[in-house]
Amino acid sequence: MKYQYWLSNIEGIGSKTIQKILRYVECAKELYFLTEEQITSLSELKEKERLKIIEHRKRWKLDAEWEAFQKKNIGFVSQEMGEFPEKLRYIENPPYSIYYKGQLPDEKFKSVAIVGARQCSEYGRLMSEKIAEALAVHQVEVISGMARGVDSYAHIGALKGKGKTFAVLGCGIDICYPTENKKLYKEIPENGGLISEYPPKTAPRPQLFPLRNRIISAFSDTVILVEAKERSGSLITADFALEQGKDIFACPGRATDGLSTGCNALIRQGAGIITSVKALLEDMGISEKIMCKEEPSLQNIQNLLLEKDESLVYSCLDFRPKSLEEISLRTGMKTQYLSGLIQNMIEKGILKEIFRNYYIRV
Amino acid sequence: MYSIVRTAIVQGIKSIPVFVEADMSDGLPVFEMVGFLSAEVKEAKERVRTALRNTGYRLPAKRITINFMPANVKKNGSGFDLPIALSILGAMDIIEKEKLKELFVIGEVGLNGEIRPVHGILPMLAEAEEAGIHTCIVPYENATEAELVKQMRIYAVHSIKETIDVINGKRYQRKPKEQKPLTEEKQPDFSEINGQHVLKRACETAVSGMHNLLMLGPPGAGKTMAAMRIPTILPPLDEKEQMELSKIYSVSGLFSNREQLIDKRPFRSPHHTVTPQGLAGGGSIPRPGEISLAHKGVLFLDELPEFKKDTLEILRQPMEEKAVRLVRMNGDYEYPADFMLVAAMNPCKCGYFPDMQKCRCSSGTLERYINRISQPLLDRIDICVATSQIPFEELTEKREEETSEKIRERVMAVHERMRYRFRNESFCYNSQIPGSKIGEYCSLHLKQEAYMEKMYEKLNLTARSYHKILKVARTLADMDGSEDILQRHLTEAVCYRNIDKKLWGREV
Repeated sequence: MKYQYWLSNIEGIGSKTIQKILRYVECAKELYFLTEEQITSLSELKEKERLKIIEHRKRWKLDAEWEAFQKKNIGFVSQEMGEFPEKLRYIENPPYSIYYKGQLPDEKFKSVAIVGARQCSEYGRLMSEKIAEALAVHQVEVISGMARGVDSYAHIGALKGKGKTFAVLGCGIDICYPTENKKLYKEIPENGGLISEYPPKTAPRPQLFPLRNRIISAFSDTVILVEAKERSGSLITADFALEQGKDIFACPGRATDGLSTGCNALIRQGAGIITSVKALLEDMGISEKIMCKEEPSLQNIQNLLLEKDESLVYSCLDFRPKSLEEISLRTGMKTQYLSGLIQNMIEKGILKEIFRNYYIRV
Repeated sequence: MYSIVRTAIVQGIKSIPVFVEADMSDGLPVFEMVGFLSAEVKEAKERVRTALRNTGYRLPAKRITINFMPANVKKNGSGFDLPIALSILGAMDIIEKEKLKELFVIGEVGLNGEIRPVHGILPMLAEAEEAGIHTCIVPYENATEAELVKQMRIYAVHSIKETIDVINGKRYQRKPKEQKPLTEEKQPDFSEINGQHVLKRACETAVSGMHNLLMLGPPGAGKTMAAMRIPTILPPLDEKEQMELSKIYSVSGLFSNREQLIDKRPFRSPHHTVTPQGLAGGGSIPRPGEISLAHKGVLFLDELPEFKKDTLEILRQPMEEKAVRLVRMNGDYEYPADFMLVAAMNPCKCGYFPDMQKCRCSSGTLERYINRISQPLLDRIDICVATSQIPFEELTEKREEETSEKIRERVMAVHERMRYRFRNESFCYNSQIPGSKIGEYCSLHLKQEAYMEKMYEKLNLTARSYHKILKVARTLADMDGSEDILQRHLTEAVCYRNIDKKLWGREV
């Protein structure tokens, strides 16, 4: 194990290089005991890479480092071990090893990745949360990347649905990035797991994130895109998913919504369309055991038993934030009256103020 | 061979009388000036000597001493030239000394004997008038400003020669005032803003209780337009306020030949690159800053987060004291600064948050943008209102909108109400109610109190923001003509509560 740990910790030697090395040697241990001449003769490696291995081997305190790592309560599994997830083994460019906190996804269960824009709209937030929650209720494992926006809301939704959720990070497992997700960072290992192919203490770097997307899609049977711009990281995940032969679903948006162009383009190319959570479950072949109590849609006004003026206000709102000014304009009501009305409706839990004087439906 | 003449310097908007004495005696021919003079006053010697010679009077070969009293105040400014010249002429017996004593004289002199205008005429003459002086000699170009001091007899002169003739009683012909056609500047008016009722309502509320206002909205939502119209709904200035304001503008040299006192509320909109000195006033001889020029009017800070933090921090003390005091080696300067603060900002760098379809800011950019706002300044703002872009139909639709005049009438009625309520207090507007008196003036009924308690928990209010909501609710009730603060006043006040920085990050 300690040899494998060593191999996965060499700076500048990534998963691709390790695959090359493993064509010469059986395991990490064998590499460790090769003489310098033997390493230099590994012809497929670049000069620089060979040097890095030799240099690193000299500095690395094999036993001390391994002992220190074991105390950290971080799981480690490499390709050489039987526990290595089967789903990862046969993808293009598989990671040599992965680190995890909590558990690894259970391959007995279905798993779904939910990814999308970091700067998502309220619509994205709602869809992400509701889909994740419904899936979690049906024992589907929800996998995402713990980034801001859609990813975070997917984890939150899954936690709400009391299901399992897994976050594949683009940095070392011991770093919480982004920092505002502290709560998720703590809760996910208790209800699933944090996963990373990068050794602990690896700082988040932009080039690491696209790569971790291949692991997100590899772990899942189905990939769902909630909101994605035309060129975005989420589409990279979709590309990986296509390569790996996974199903892709996307939440449609209006043709004019910049945040949905990526999703709409995928649908045009033949991705599944998510018209409702129920339909999604059906498409995925999950029999609906528990009725989804809340379908994310604009509730029927008649069911809410609102007063006349309240329903007027309600009917001019949707998931796009609208300002007090706009509402006043559409309803023709005065501010002094409208403010009370809106406060009441917030109280009833059917509206929400998401920004000063900007409101959406709940 | 002695003569004395009265003049003055300005310090802040106050004026300090200064007497210029000239003595001519036998001795080595020398021309000496004493009395704590700044560089520009010392230079007066050469100007006066040459100007007198070019007017036809040669200084006698005697020992000439000029003294400035009181000796402990630093003399600065260019207005001493004419008093020096006249005191010398008095000592030379060219003009009558006795008449000279009863005059107030100010003016800069050119080498050809021509008299040039100076700043700060208004406060100096006002002070001289109070001291019982009834006649004064001022540069011709300052005449219109000088004539605003009603009880004064004004001699506006072009040259030293004319001055001598005036004092010796020969002739004085004041050229008839050119009748400038009264071009009434077109004032902006609230009726020019289509729609935007929420914003207008917030402006009216802010003015009614003299609350400071923050407008939050995307570019082009009419924030600046509304701010520019706020002075038009403030009550008209009374005579005392007009005089005070005119003095400030006179001292800064911005009075520029007005034929009446400033009677319009000022609107000052300093650019965000303004320095702390530019904003609060400064310099080695302090000049009034933007906050003083906005006295009794509106100080508008557009793009609030772009202002430097230390510039804004400087506003704190003047906002409390309604005046700014600048202490310098040569004396304290105090400028009044009783203004209403109106600030505007975009919700994010690109301006479209929370509309994520349009907003291009990453959360890092958002955070940096918000953190630039100075919290102490936010703490001094009572009302915060979000504006939004108005649709095209609304813009072009012809509709009768309320005029500023009408809104102002309502505002004045509310102010009247407050004056009555606070007749025994040292403050006169709702925004100034101190924390200790909130309970007395903003008491709530049980039901409303229960509501506020709920809101306190729900909105994470602090004691300070809670008090602000009560004060704004008090104003709303006053506008409604209600002695009690009712539910609808509270809910509206809650709507206007101040932003807290958490608003931008969505809760997880």
